Amino acid sequence: MTIPYRDAFQLLAGKREEELVVTSAGNSSQMWWDVTKDADKTFYLDASMSMSTLFASGVAYGLPQAKVWAFMGDGAFVMNPAMLMVERDLDLPNLVHILVSNRVYGGTSDLDLPNKPVTDYVAMAKSMGLDRCWNFDTLSALDDGFDAAFRGNDKGHSFVVLELEPMTAEDHRIEEPPMDGPEIKFRFGRYIESIYGTKVFSHQF
Amino acid sequence: MSNRKEIARRVVEQAAACDISLVASLPDNWVAEVIRTFDRDDRFRHVPVNREESAVGLCSGAFFSGTGSMAVMGASGLMTLIYAITKINYTYEVPLMILATLRGAPGDTAKFHVSNGLYFLQSLDAIKLTYTVIDSADKIPEIKRMYDHSRIVSRPAVAIMTRDVLRGEA
Repeated sequence: MTIPYRDAFQLLAGKREEELVVTSAGNSSQMWWDVTKDADKTFYLDASMSMSTLFASGVAYGLPQAKVWAFMGDGAFVMNPAMLMVERDLDLPNLVHILVSNRVYGGTSDLDLPNKPVTDYVAMAKSMGLDRCWNFDTLSALDDGFDAAFRGNDKGHSFVVLELEPMTAEDHRIEEPPMDGPEIKFRFGRYIESIYGTKVFSHQF
Repeated sequence: MSNRKEIARRVVEQAAACDISLVASLPDNWVAEVIRTFDRDDRFRHVPVNREESAVGLCSGAFFSGTGSMAVMGASGLMTLIYAITKINYTYEVPLMILATLRGAPGDTAKFHVSNGLYFLQSLDAIKLTYTVIDSADKIPEIKRMYDHSRIVSRPAVAIMTRDVLRGEA
């Protein structure tokens, strides 16, 4: 079973509180922007194959008082799955790694991933020592399990796999976040400065 | 203290002077002592990474938490980072400090680093990646200058150390 891509993102957007969000290469940037229009608490790390969750780890490491969600498409994940070794070492209790599994390279015409039918992402994570792992393949299961998976991670890093359908043809036409990189940087960084009192930008005029 | 350890200590003191507290590394033999010295020093959280791209992600994100960071790697590792650096640090203008080795230069006895000798610095030039070569111990303070420079220009900067310096022989 799989969850319609948009439905999963709408559910998460509805449940989000103050979490900082980092999106990934693939479709998560596009869809997260469409369902939230958030330009301050989200860093749209597009074209970042396999780096979004470690980028988010850097945010979460230095801001232990913040909660951070990081999306990663499975096309990006399979390029560097051993990132989970680093994430396990860090074991940041304020980080949720959300693996968007639709078994295709969503950012590049939905062409198939290798080994598509059988790869078990939770088993991969467990092999690297992660024990706070979830897999959701229905919307009701995601709704029911949300608090445990997304809010109950004070004991350590969480790894959540969402088994989704590829985006629909209609969804592929939705707007990309209408910002250039530096605008995303400054909006996100200024938001962190204002909420957490942290000095992000230095060496300026 | 051996010459190698003394050089490592001086490198680590430069990082401390930059208020760096997070160090991500993937070893090259030449910087192994530097990495061990970071690992033993309580002023730093040392994070061994699985590949150099992971260090770019981690250190780039750390910037947004106000955490000073450095990625330590060999020349070959830096050669794998053209995508990561250009997509993250150039696109979003995020500073990043990298400490690397000048593999393949005269004096390197490893045949498998011949390609680095031919193309490493030229590759950095090709993507306009700012770097300085630290070829004598009295240039070690360049590490802090490069760190500050990366913050000022909102781009990555690389301090590249030679074999002889890291061995305490230059």
